[in-house]
Order: sequence, then C-alpha cells, then structure tokens
Amino acid sequence: MNGGSLATRAGRPGARADRVAGRIFLACTLLAAGTAATLLGVMAAGTGQFFWEVSPWRFFTGSSWAPFAEDPRFGVLPLAAATAQITAGAIVVGGPLGLLSAVYLEYYAGARARRAGTAAVALLASVPTVVFGYAAVGAVAPVLRAIAPGGGNGAGGASATIVLGLAITPTVAFLAREALAGVPPRLLQAGTALGASRGQVVARVAAPAAARGLAAALLLATARATGETMIVAMAADARAELAWSPVEGARTLTAFLAQANLGDASPGSLDAQAVLAVATLLFVVTCAVHAAGRALRPPRQPAPPGPRLALSSAAGRNGSAAMSEGPGS
Amino acid sequence: MTPAAQRSRLAAGRRRFDLLGLASRLAAGVVVGSAAALLGFLAWRFVQLGLGGAPQGPGSAGGWEAIGAAAAGTAWLVVLTGALALPAGIGTALYLEEYVRPKTRAASALQAALANLCGAPSVIYGVAGLAFLVHGLSLDRTLATGALVLAALALPPVVASTTEALRMVPDDLRTAAFGLGATRWQVVRHQVLPAAAPGIATATCAALARAAGAAAPLLVVGAASMATFAPSGPASPLHSLPTQAFAWAARPQTTFAAQAAGAALALLAILLGIHLAALLFRRRWRRSIPPAQALRATPALREARR
Repeated sequence: MNGGSLATRAGRPGARADRVAGRIFLACTLLAAGTAATLLGVMAAGTGQFFWEVSPWRFFTGSSWAPFAEDPRFGVLPLAAATAQITAGAIVVGGPLGLLSAVYLEYYAGARARRAGTAAVALLASVPTVVFGYAAVGAVAPVLRAIAPGGGNGAGGASATIVLGLAITPTVAFLAREALAGVPPRLLQAGTALGASRGQVVARVAAPAAARGLAAALLLATARATGETMIVAMAADARAELAWSPVEGARTLTAFLAQANLGDASPGSLDAQAVLAVATLLFVVTCAVHAAGRALRPPRQPAPPGPRLALSSAAGRNGSAAMSEGPGS
Repeated sequence: MTPAAQRSRLAAGRRRFDLLGLASRLAAGVVVGSAAALLGFLAWRFVQLGLGGAPQGPGSAGGWEAIGAAAAGTAWLVVLTGALALPAGIGTALYLEEYVRPKTRAASALQAALANLCGAPSVIYGVAGLAFLVHGLSLDRTLATGALVLAALALPPVVASTTEALRMVPDDLRTAAFGLGATRWQVVRHQVLPAAAPGIATATCAALARAAGAAAPLLVVGAASMATFAPSGPASPLHSLPTQAFAWAARPQTTFAAQAAGAALALLAILLGIHLAALLFRRRWRRSIPPAQALRATPALREARR
C-alpha cells in the first residue's frame, strides 16, 4: 500500500493521494464536459444565426443549394437526397455482405477460415476511409466505366456507393457476430436435436433470436454510412476543388462539409453559418440513428462460466479484436 | 401434421441444398477478397508507377521526402492527440464510473451524451473546430490545432470504451478491497485498473488509430495540401498522411497517384504499429498482473458460493 504511514498523517493511509486523484479525475471530467458543450454550443450558435437570416422553411423545402452564388439559395434537399441515396445503396451492398459473413464466421467456418475471416474483417475495419476513397477512384470507377461506358459522374457515384458499402461491411459483420454469439447455445442444440439442418437452425432459430442485435448492427452501420465523408468527397465527383457549380449532382451533406474550407467562407458570414447548419442537420440525423441502434443493441455481459457449446464445427472461440461502431472519417 | 409427415419434412430439409451456407461462404469470400484486393491495388499502384522521379507541377513536391514529411506530421498528431485524449478520457471514465457512487443524474447524463457523441461523424469535429478554434480563437492552422480537433474526436470513444471495460470488472474485487480498508484511489489503482487494463488498452488504441486515419476533420480545419519540409514541432503547419493522400489523389498527373498510394501504405503501416502496440500492452498486462487471475477465478467462486 502506498501513501503516508498511519503515524505521521491524519486519517487513513493514502487519504491524501485519494483526494488528489479524485480532483484530477474531476478536472478530466470537467474538461470532457466542456469539450462536448463547446462542440454543441458552436454548432447551435451558428445554426441559430443561420436560421435568423434564412427561414427554416426555405432551408428544408428549397430544392436548390448554391450558397456561394450571386443570389444564394439554401435548399438542403439536394444534399439530403444525395446522402439518402448513397447511404441506402451502401446498406444494400454492405448489409447482406456483413450479415452473411457474420453467419459464415459464426456457424460455418472452421478454425483456420474463421481466423482468416476475422483478420480480413479487422483489416477492412481499420483501413482509413481516405484509402477507400482512393481505391474507389482508382480501381472501382475505371471498372464501372469499362462496363457501362459514358457513365462519367454516374460511375463516380456508383463507385462511391459500392466502396462505401464495403467500408461499412466490417461494422455490420462485427456487430452481427456479437449478436449471433449471444444466442443461447441451448436454442441451437434444441433445433439440431429436432433434426433441422444447419441452414435451418441459423435461419429459423439463431436469426430470430438475435434479431434485435442484427437490427442494431444495420442501424449503427447506417449511421456510419450517413456520416461518411472521404469516400463520398473523393469518389462521388472525383474532384476536390471547384464543385460549387449547381450542375454537380451527387453531392452529399458530408461532401459539402468536406469542401467547406476550400470555399472562402469568411468567419461569421452567412456561408460559414450555412456550413454549421448543414453540420447540425447531419449531426442530428446520425446521432438519432446511432442512438436507436445503441438502444437496440443488447448490453454486453461478462462472459458466463463454463465452456460455450456452439453449433460451429470449431471448438472454442477466439476473441476478435475490439472494434467500435463509431464512424470513420 | 402426422408425425411421419413431420419426420419426412425434416429429412427433406436436411437433405436440401444449403442456400444460406453457400451465400454466407460467398459473402465471406467477397470480404476476404476485397481486403486482399485493396492491399494489392495499393502495392501495385505504388510499384507500377514508381517513385523514380519527383512529380512536376506548380508548387508541388514529391518523392520520399514528401511522404516522410507527411508521415512525421501524422506521428506528431498521434503523439499529441494521445497525450491529450487518453489521460482526459480515462480520467473522465474513472471519475464517472468509480468516484461518483451512487451515480448521480448528472453523471449518467454526461455518460449518455459522450456515448452519443461517439456516433457523430468526424467531419462535424472539423466544422466545429474551424468555427471555434480557427475563426473564433484565431489559432493558426498548426499541428497543435489539428491535434486539438483529433483529441476532441477521440475523447468520446475513449471514455465510452474505458467505461465499458470498467463495467466488466466484477464488483467483488472492489468490495473486497474496500473491506480491507483501502481508499478509493487504492482500489482503482491496485484492483480495478489492472483488471480493466487489457480492455482499456485495446479500445483506446482503436480510438487513437481512428483519429490517426481521419482525413475529413483536418481537411475542414485546413491542412496544407503541399508541404515539403518535415515538421519541427507542434507549431508547424498542419499536414498529415491522410490529407496528403487526399490532395495527391485529387491531382490528375499519374505520378501523384503513386504518391497517394505511397502515403496510403505509410498510413496503413502507422496504424498497424498502433494496433500492434495495443496487442503487446494487452499481452503484457494479461500475463503479469495477479488480479487477472483473481478475475478468472471469480465465476467458479460464484458457483461455489451457491
């Protein structure tokens, strides 16, 4: 035991260290609370100033977004529609891929395949999104243009959707696997004892039992895809500069934000406030979806005692690398 | 349904071709294949285009020096972000989880708010950082400013995952230590932290790796797109591997595509280093700290008590 000795200091040994540590941790907490409050305050202030100038009705129903034009228009619908379209496409690609690979890793894979698959999922999960964006522009878009020539920007948007789907696959796979691993083994054993095949047990017993967790995986992946920035900024129109023209189609909320600094929005101007308003909209949407996913996700429990009897042919489970469901860049 | 019909139906199900098995195998194949294809593509681009000559262009810089300078920028950012976010985040989690007992409403609200902030897109932090730090406080666009933004980005995940690791520590450990007369700090220092250390190390390194790879916030705050000199300290202009890869990838010349691939590979190497560090920490703490063994014994003890 460290701290002072009983003879020289009043109170219990270590009481002073206890007080000092408590104050340090309290300071950390105040710092974290201050950071969160600053983040929310800055966005709320900018959004408030923006809505003082531009009516929320024009913002939410206007169909043209041109904040830097002579006659600025602040209709957020085109950005929101592009975000919804690309996010939906990414879920169509990444959802089934993630869910099915979770089923494979949990119920079908042997020990070696499971190790390799887990490693591949962990690798994909840790790839920064700027690298995904680079691959979308450099590898996927040319292939798509070769298949459907003359696609131009459309191929760009399609490549962004596919690669974004791949980028959220590890999120879905990791969370879905966690949900499937939480299914009580006795349910699977009962299904097998009734003579059901492995596919039947997975589809009719495991999937319904883990339904909440699987839905949570999809929702958390949706939140991530909505907030994903670099892939969309790089691949949806493949140009960093000069994307302010109204002809550009697939510009999402995040792609607009990524270019916010490239435009010369002076501090305090209406442009800068428009950026904060879009950021707030994005923040509210992603946080709502993320919170819904978190609410559905079953709470993590300490591992129960005793060996786990799984349907899988592999005995024992190797713990997968901890991976959080938060958004990338 | 008669028992015989039921049996035959089940037998048919058993014999039936397992569509789910095939589909799941295919999906896993696609995941493994795309991970391999991604690495292969980067390496191929890098080798094929080569770094023979530095790319030419107005205000451009190329070659190994440019990648090295950007890597040094990212290294600075990782160190500064870690120095800011890890102690603050772990301290916050310890205070809210261990010191505020019984838990107050404010503590629960703050925990919930931070957990929800984990879902905020990283670009949001850039936008807020631009408005507050650069426009509001008139800070220069330096590595230190970038590190402040990345630390704000990493803070919520660090708090959330440390909290989760602390909750995995069985209460028996705390109760026993308090019963022996230990102060709260002694309980935390000698029982809770060693037991939670592997989980904390894994999760905080993951948060740090995510901050290291984040391009969008730095891009919005205003990273230099072409910097040739290695940064000399936190006051050097903000530039990093992810933003540099983005800037190079946006250029039409093919030599820059190789630069971008090089920057991407260097970034992956740095992230691999962070993950390896997490693995080593986890191994070390799991082996050397006695309370981990006490933890393992706990379920059996619980059984025995019943």
